[in-house]
Amino acid sequence: MIFPVLTQSQKRSIGVLALMGLIGGGTAMAIGELGMRLTQIWEFLLPILQKLPIPEMASQIAGMVIECSLLIGFISVSVMFMVWWERKVSAHMQSRLGPMTTGGWHGWAQTIADGIKLILKEDIIPESANSWVHRLAPVLVFVPAFICYAVLPFGSNLIAVNLDIGVLFIFAISGLSVLGIVMAGWGSGNKYSMLGGLRAAAQSVSYEIPRVLSIVPILLFVGSLKLTDIANYQSGMWFGFIPRWFIFYPVIGQIAFIIFLISSVAETNRTPFDIAEAESELVAGFHTEYSGMKFSLFFLAEYAYVFLSSGLTTALFLGGGSGPLLPTWVWFLLKSFGIVFLFLWFRWTFPRMRVDRLMEFTWKFLMPWSFVNILIAGAVVLALGV
Amino acid sequence: MINYFKTIYQVSKALLQGMAVTGRWLFQPAITVQYPDEKLTPPERFRGTLVFDKETCTACNLCVKACPTACISLEPYVDPATQKRIAKVNWYQIDFGKCNYCRLCEEACPTKPIKSVRHSHDYEWSMKERSEMFVKWKRDPSPVIADTPKDTGTKAA
Repeated sequence: MIFPVLTQSQKRSIGVLALMGLIGGGTAMAIGELGMRLTQIWEFLLPILQKLPIPEMASQIAGMVIECSLLIGFISVSVMFMVWWERKVSAHMQSRLGPMTTGGWHGWAQTIADGIKLILKEDIIPESANSWVHRLAPVLVFVPAFICYAVLPFGSNLIAVNLDIGVLFIFAISGLSVLGIVMAGWGSGNKYSMLGGLRAAAQSVSYEIPRVLSIVPILLFVGSLKLTDIANYQSGMWFGFIPRWFIFYPVIGQIAFIIFLISSVAETNRTPFDIAEAESELVAGFHTEYSGMKFSLFFLAEYAYVFLSSGLTTALFLGGGSGPLLPTWVWFLLKSFGIVFLFLWFRWTFPRMRVDRLMEFTWKFLMPWSFVNILIAGAVVLALGV
Repeated sequence: MINYFKTIYQVSKALLQGMAVTGRWLFQPAITVQYPDEKLTPPERFRGTLVFDKETCTACNLCVKACPTACISLEPYVDPATQKRIAKVNWYQIDFGKCNYCRLCEEACPTKPIKSVRHSHDYEWSMKERSEMFVKWKRDPSPVIADTPKDTGTKAA
């Protein structure tokens, strides 16, 4: 069945999607570069603010708060979308429909309803738990994820803090989340949580290494750790039609991309590498004892990391926001959500790996190959003098 | 050395095959039916709730004998004027708490062309109490009904 006969409702859905795409594309083109527009708004507001009797310090702090709120807003909305998307994609891969009634059109408001439910739920701290560690853990998991978004380039000029060491910063800070997970595992006073936390620590620490090593070839070519520099380096075309994205570099690019993608999936603790949660072995791993908003913080952090990894993949391998016609931020979001879809696809296709095989895979396979990749890239850089 | 690369090739091939399967299913229409909004038509021989036609029934007792769970009970109609049994039912009762929807009563029923006890295609049927499961059909323009105690059938079954 290559061309299935479409029912009326499917035709309607496709029509609605096409219309939404057209309207969205039109609006995006009308808005243009978001970074430029935000700068324009800032330049429009600045003289008004300067006339008001407000100390400069206060206006600067207000500016930072606004930037943070924009990021928080983006994270929550995109996480809500991703949760809904995951449920729909998983449902359709299993020939189900997923949420269909909430909000009218294909259950689009399901995550909002779930969020309200999570807020209303009772917040339980188990008797055997270490109260402070238990309370602090979700915060420590989410905060690094949020900090990392500061250096993610969402498009040209659309970056909260353009750090010189952007890539290193993201790897360093996102590594901190492991601490939160171990604290959650230990502070819950539950054997399953403890095991989950320890597994998560072992896994995250192991997969961090090939993840960082896999992008060393990029750094060799670009000669900078700045994410905007890396994105700019990939602009332009080869032979007029192949984009100069790093994924299209013969052999080196593909090996690096695959290793980076696999370790990103492992870093975000998602199936097939979700031994930290492993609901069939460990109930839910480190977040077994969490309920209500604390649980939703873990959930938020997981999906925030998924988007962060996708955004990082886009910036490093897929040329950031470069693309024709549409503004850069739209291209960045499209590519990132494409990678997010890949994450969902992996999750609903592959079975969970065993703990020892998981460790063997990273130490005996991914790491040697990333070293080989660095070797090849170094030779190429030396030979061609790029 | 060759085995190493062979394993890598085979594993990647298997992973891609798995992804192709889920990818194919993603674009196929779902099997799920949104039940209260859309309903499937049951197949022709679907055994839904039993319906009874008290006008055609001859009170032959074949269904009562055929029923494996003894959920059917009936009383033939006796004409008060002649004190003779005629081929009509006075009342006919099915205990749906016992009925296992096996169609044996319908197969035993001799009335033609339409069986007087038969399965319908209706499956949306629920009761809140056990007493509601006794469904009783009574011969209507009949003076006998008034004399019959109302819950006779209920206790008999």
